[in-house]
Amino acid sequence: MKLKGVVILIIALTSFACRNLSSKPTEFVFPEIDTIPVSEAQKLSPEAIADISKNISSPVEIANMLLNLDIPFSQSYLATSVDPNKLSTNFDKAIKLGILGADLGYLNMYEKTGSSLDVLSSIRKLAEDIKVGQFFDFESIKRLSKNKSNLDSLLFISIDSYTKIDNYLRENDRGQLSALMIIGVWIEGQYLATQVVSKVPNKMLMDRVGEQKIILNDLIFLLVPYCNHDSEYSSLCKNLQEIKDKYHDIRITFTQGDPVSVEKDGGLTVTQTETSVVEMSKEQLDGIIEITKNIRNRLVINN
Amino acid sequence: MKKHLITLSLLLTISLLSFGQGKDELRSSCVMSAGANAKFLKDFVIQLGSDAVQNDFRYKANIALWKNTKYRFNLCSATDSKGQLILNVKDDGNKVILSSFDKKSGKTYPYIDFICQKSGMYQLSYDFTNGQQGSGVGVVSMVK
Repeated sequence: MKLKGVVILIIALTSFACRNLSSKPTEFVFPEIDTIPVSEAQKLSPEAIADISKNISSPVEIANMLLNLDIPFSQSYLATSVDPNKLSTNFDKAIKLGILGADLGYLNMYEKTGSSLDVLSSIRKLAEDIKVGQFFDFESIKRLSKNKSNLDSLLFISIDSYTKIDNYLRENDRGQLSALMIIGVWIEGQYLATQVVSKVPNKMLMDRVGEQKIILNDLIFLLVPYCNHDSEYSSLCKNLQEIKDKYHDIRITFTQGDPVSVEKDGGLTVTQTETSVVEMSKEQLDGIIEITKNIRNRLVINN
Repeated sequence: MKKHLITLSLLLTISLLSFGQGKDELRSSCVMSAGANAKFLKDFVIQLGSDAVQNDFRYKANIALWKNTKYRFNLCSATDSKGQLILNVKDDGNKVILSSFDKKSGKTYPYIDFICQKSGMYQLSYDFTNGQQGSGVGVVSMVK
């Protein structure tokens, strides 16, 4: 019993290794334990799982970066092949709910709100199918999209709807669907970034793709308890491990420095002088682009 | 004694219910206070009782922040809060990289802009000044 407790503690500590170090890390490394035993991951508290799911980056961050880099919008990156009427399993519905959520973020960010109505309808259908439609504020989002009014309100209501769905699923013992939704969001965001970077080799964007190594283990951690659920789950677990393998030799190092604070207009502006540096070869990046495309397309096409 | 306990319970329930009703309004107004050039990312609803002996900020959340991004952290306190909502952000080395509260002067800032140069996991810690009772909303957004 004691040994079990120690194992759980070690896993928890290694999983959160990048968060609570007392000495300053100079390089990001994956936790020592490469694969987390299913039986142990299942014992992690709901709070720990909630914490992980909340800190996965928002899909609008990638879209915002593309917008700031003046990358033109492209309809071809969207998962237009998804037909919510053709999906039979909750696995398919939940992961596509995530994928379309990322697409909605992309459309909203570029203010392509007319095009977002089709995506919205699909999202509503999927949400209703997995009995979380009550949390998706379809009418408000549709109204804000049509009016092309306040982008911030639109982002707030869209993100808030997804947060409510995620919370509800986790609180009602349907954590597997929450995990799928979050993974769907991440895969689509990663697909968007890698597709753009394959055409526009921008250094900032390349770095952002490489930096995904930082949250990849957390993402895998969400799905681990369900890897033996059925073939769909085990296949996705395998896919994420394949992505992780591609990231294994990418180096992320940190330089040291103290933040600089300036008071301005009643607020405070803090500029960080510490930096993160990504070392990634073209071959490594190509490997990530390729694996992401294959996995995402399989998920989207496999209706 | 029993009478006091009942009154206290009633007061607590009423204050919880009233925050529940005003929570969405506070969230919306806090999101809007981030400004027209801010793009919403996340918000945290914080409700804490009084704890004068606390050594560390009590409400904690982890978040991934990315290099070359300017984040804005807005802090909004409900009108019936005893203290002001304040925030500390720590990096993965447990080092405080920003604080909305200047201990020396006692000054609190309603928002902080953070120009992130190091991608990684960060810990957001919220509390109310002097460990007082309060309810509030912390909003994280991106600004150009």
